[in-house]
Amino acid sequence: MTVPPTTPPDDVPGGSVYGPAAEEATELFQIYEPPDGAELAAARGKSISSVGSVEVLKVEDLTVGFPTEDGLVRAVRGVSYSLHEREVLGIVGESGSGKSVSSMAVMGLLPKGARITGDISFRGTNILSMSKQEQRSLRGRKIAMIFQDPMTAMNPVYTVGFQLAEAVLSHEVMSKKAAMARAEEMLNLVGIPQPKERLNSYPHEFSGGMRQRAMIAMAVINNPDVIIADEPTTALDVTVQAQILEKLIEVKDAFNAAIVLITHDLGVVAGMAHRTLVMYAGRPVELGKTEDVFYSPRMPYTAGLLGSIPSAGETGRLRPITGAPPSLINLPDGCPFSPRCPLATDICRTVEPELAPTDAPDHLGACHHWDRLAAAPDPTAFFRTESEARR
Amino acid sequence: MSTEEKAAAAASAANGNGNGNGNGTAAQGLSIVARTQGQLVRRRFFRHRGAMISLTILVLVILLAYTSIGFAGIPGWWIWNYYTPGKVVNRGAPTLSLWPTFLGGDGFAIGEHPFGQDDLGRDYFALTMRGAQISILIAFVVGIVGTLIGVIIGALAGYYRGWVESGLMRFTDVMITIPILVIAAVLGQKFGGAGPLVLAIVIGLVLWTGLARLIRGEFLSLREKEFVEAARALGAKPTRIIFRHILPNTVGVITVAATLLIANAILLETALSFLGFGVRAPDTSLGLLVSTYQNAFATRPWLFWWPGLFIITIALTVNFIGDGLRDAFDPRQNRVRA
Amino acid sequence: MAPFIIRRLFISFFVLLGATFIVYVLVASAGDPRNALLESTDPGKANKIAAMTRNLSLDVPIIPRYFAWLGGALGCLIGKCDLGNTASGAPVSGGLAVAMGSTLRLVVFALVIAIVVGVSIGMITALRQYSGLDYSVTFLAFLFFSLPVFWIAVLMKQFLAIKFNDWLKAPSIPPWVIVVTAVVAGLIAAGVVGGDRRRRLAAFGGASVAVALLMIYFAVTDWFAEPRIGPVAMIAMSAITAVAATALFAGFRSRIVLYATLVTAVVGVICYFALDSILADPTTLLVVGLLVLALIVGAGIGAAMGGLYRSQAVKACMLTAFGCGGLIFASQLLAALPAYSAKVNGVVVATIGATTPNFSGNFWETTLDQLGHLLLPTIAIVLISIAAYTRYTRSSMLEVMNADYIRTARAKGLTERTVVVRHGFRNALIPITTIVALDVGGLIGGAIITETVFGWSGMGKYFNDALKIPDPNAVMGFFLVTGTAIVLFNMIADITYGFLDPRIRLS
Repeated sequence: MTVPPTTPPDDVPGGSVYGPAAEEATELFQIYEPPDGAELAAARGKSISSVGSVEVLKVEDLTVGFPTEDGLVRAVRGVSYSLHEREVLGIVGESGSGKSVSSMAVMGLLPKGARITGDISFRGTNILSMSKQEQRSLRGRKIAMIFQDPMTAMNPVYTVGFQLAEAVLSHEVMSKKAAMARAEEMLNLVGIPQPKERLNSYPHEFSGGMRQRAMIAMAVINNPDVIIADEPTTALDVTVQAQILEKLIEVKDAFNAAIVLITHDLGVVAGMAHRTLVMYAGRPVELGKTEDVFYSPRMPYTAGLLGSIPSAGETGRLRPITGAPPSLINLPDGCPFSPRCPLATDICRTVEPELAPTDAPDHLGACHHWDRLAAAPDPTAFFRTESEARR
Repeated sequence: MSTEEKAAAAASAANGNGNGNGNGTAAQGLSIVARTQGQLVRRRFFRHRGAMISLTILVLVILLAYTSIGFAGIPGWWIWNYYTPGKVVNRGAPTLSLWPTFLGGDGFAIGEHPFGQDDLGRDYFALTMRGAQISILIAFVVGIVGTLIGVIIGALAGYYRGWVESGLMRFTDVMITIPILVIAAVLGQKFGGAGPLVLAIVIGLVLWTGLARLIRGEFLSLREKEFVEAARALGAKPTRIIFRHILPNTVGVITVAATLLIANAILLETALSFLGFGVRAPDTSLGLLVSTYQNAFATRPWLFWWPGLFIITIALTVNFIGDGLRDAFDPRQNRVRA
Repeated sequence: MAPFIIRRLFISFFVLLGATFIVYVLVASAGDPRNALLESTDPGKANKIAAMTRNLSLDVPIIPRYFAWLGGALGCLIGKCDLGNTASGAPVSGGLAVAMGSTLRLVVFALVIAIVVGVSIGMITALRQYSGLDYSVTFLAFLFFSLPVFWIAVLMKQFLAIKFNDWLKAPSIPPWVIVVTAVVAGLIAAGVVGGDRRRRLAAFGGASVAVALLMIYFAVTDWFAEPRIGPVAMIAMSAITAVAATALFAGFRSRIVLYATLVTAVVGVICYFALDSILADPTTLLVVGLLVLALIVGAGIGAAMGGLYRSQAVKACMLTAFGCGGLIFASQLLAALPAYSAKVNGVVVATIGATTPNFSGNFWETTLDQLGHLLLPTIAIVLISIAAYTRYTRSSMLEVMNADYIRTARAKGLTERTVVVRHGFRNALIPITTIVALDVGGLIGGAIITETVFGWSGMGKYFNDALKIPDPNAVMGFFLVTGTAIVLFNMIADITYGFLDPRIRLS
């Protein structure tokens, strides 16, 4: 099977895509020419090697629950991961798998009623035990966030420039003029043409892609250490998606930031992330280097996800995962995936597997039968559709 | 094949697909209980404590008003009627006592005239009940008439657009420009003597404008939805699309607006009666009672308290029910993120 | 913008035209104004009937009569207004102008209070959704919604006017009143502050103790017998105003704004001492002039001291200056109260009319007289409209606070105050403004019932009296004013919408 690579739009001449931004060419841009496939691989090798050894963000045994009328919704149940300097960590899962909730917990943006346990530490200090004031000063300055829908994520009644400048002014004492200059610089950096004029535009005067660029600018304007990108491309056209991801990587390199990339689009993760965390029903079910996770999944759910992707080359059938994710209020006994899992046995229905090292020590999986996946030549084959089976 | 049959066929096809894919998830009992929209709405409404208490009280008040002195010739269980004058006992003071003896009161007693008597010696409980009957009757008739007109005008304007819309909406504008109290008072002046039912219909003919605008807005957005497109593609007639496809989707908005219309109508009726444009003697309404006895407050306050209390109770409970319905139909507002 | 306004005006004109026709026909056919005279035993009734027939052109059929009236009314467009005569022969336009002035005095004041208080309460309840405060306010809002004005008016006359005036003759505060007031104040404070149990307890304790001490002070010094704002109270309240204005516009992250407002407050306190002689018996013009001067001085201080926070400092200082001006005004008013009370035999809160008949006194006494008459009808209007504003603001604010851009604002690390005010309230304001504009248009028609109950001879009473006759000319005069107001404010609502929401382009 193949995973479609996120190919940057190499048919677009570099200069014009980024507009005057590229011409004014801070050296940041020269690092990253719009690459073809080979260059991309080289670039990735380089950025992987450049991942730092310092942990900027560490999440340990995080659980989040929301009390509702029907009972406690256990949205996140024991998520642990760490993020190193300059690293890109992909978090993949269906909607409702807890990927967004866990990142909102990191930002401290969960609703008041949420019940949070576990540890979230930023450079060694626990965020959850900080005062509201300290949490606020971390938000947007050290940990920034990019949201899914650029359409609604910006306040419609203020200009883009104002909303960017506001992000600076809330953390630093400086004049409005200086903040606006900084905002202009950022718009330039993310490749918005005529940044000076665009400062005075309202969000509705921007296209979707432009708005998402502005959101990126807003996220990096305070030079953060961590950027959490929550489905940054889902609401965009496919052609624009690639440009935005390019820009995200470029900006990350410019600011030496690490990225937590939340998405349900495996292609996006494959093209960008150093490591990938797969979540299902509020739990991490697989964590490892992106290529390990993609080429030798050790959890049937991951394999099922990979089988669900249409690819251009193959003419074979898609192999969807049947059924629906379980209710987070009333989880089944044992492995939450067992009702949908073709490999499930009796133990799966009674004992929930721990996330534990599989064949490689840095490749963790939560499956009683990971060895059966390892033995199979094509792990997605377990998800053969009925029609295939009949054949 | 009729549209129903087509729909049924499509549904069964979808079902077949679902079975193929479902692979028995339901059998695993994952407790994803499917609820219909109606069930959800009912459940949310029943959980709205204020609305449920209000509904109970309102039903009790209505029962009390209509059974006690009887209505439309059917006799009630209360010994007095509201029109026969009698001998004024103890300046007509109420004989109702709720203060228990162990707290130094007279103990629980209803007495001869629990709400007292008016200056003609009529039983004030019977009068208040008659007032409540008329006020409730007017409020509900106004609610029905106003909702009907509002929905029809709003639906036609929203569905047909073009000159139908601009004509109807300009007419609505004209009606809105004339302050409600003005037109209701003029019509009340003319029709007030013709009995409460006529008065109610007249007020209903005035109070539909807000609802019409609301329904038009709903129709404007719903008529662009895919399911309407689909119905049109199947060749459904406009009347069918309006009544079978769009209207059921506006039930929430209509119910809430109609409830609030009723609450408005109660206050409007009392105001009109107070100004002398509403119900006329010898019949009575709560507003008329308050109006008649407003100057008796210092000397015989009960003549003022009882009808006022009933106006407030009815209006308050209807408002709360409206609030509960709104929460039930539109749960979006229920929770704030952080 | 211009084509939009012109088109709207054009449509509105025809809408209004249609409405005048309907109203005219309705009123004219509602009854014969001569009926009352026909039944009377007045010897000169034939003459009177003839006069009324002439005044109202009753010998002309309704439709031509309408067009005759319309011809006169259309003259208003070219400055030659002729709205006809009332049944008694007086020109409509004259009586209407008097009634309108009276109504505006009543309604504008009440509306401003209702909007400010209602919107603030709505915001607080939205931010404290599902708290005890929220439930209490919701209940009260529905209760006020359901109150007939005339009913509550009778109660107010009894308890806020008659009983209060009696009490004021020998004011004494019984201990249970102090306890209840303190507890209520504490509960409100705890509800507004919110947060965890400790914070709420602290707020409850602080507020109830403060209120209790204040009440005890009032009781011990017999403050109500001779009310005044003394120097100590003036200094304390100016300081509180300064701090509150800072909290509202800038927060305390930087001290600069606080210093600026405190300086403004100091200037205010100096004025309190210095202006006594000027304010002994001022003219209205002088008072307004001083207020404007205060605002200018406040703005100046803010601009001079604000530095990087200039715009916030200017706003906060202007508010502080306004507050201090208000305090000085109130202190002068209170000082004049005993003299005024003696002049009107202790009827400080009046139950009927707009002024005490044949009253004369200095500026402060006449102001007190007007305020005393305004008090009850204002409370009545405020109580009833405040409920609507609270509910609108609450739901509008709840909707906005759920929006994605609020999450973005929080993610940027803005303070909660900035998130709520700048991002939340600014957006919630858009629908609220529309509703307020529509309401203002409606209120020009006068609060018919309130005016009737309180004997306020404004538009509502004018209309009510005219309708009872029924006098088509007078009713039409009333309707022309109210209809135009509604149409105009409808348009103003649309235009402000366009200004507040950049997504709307009026075309």
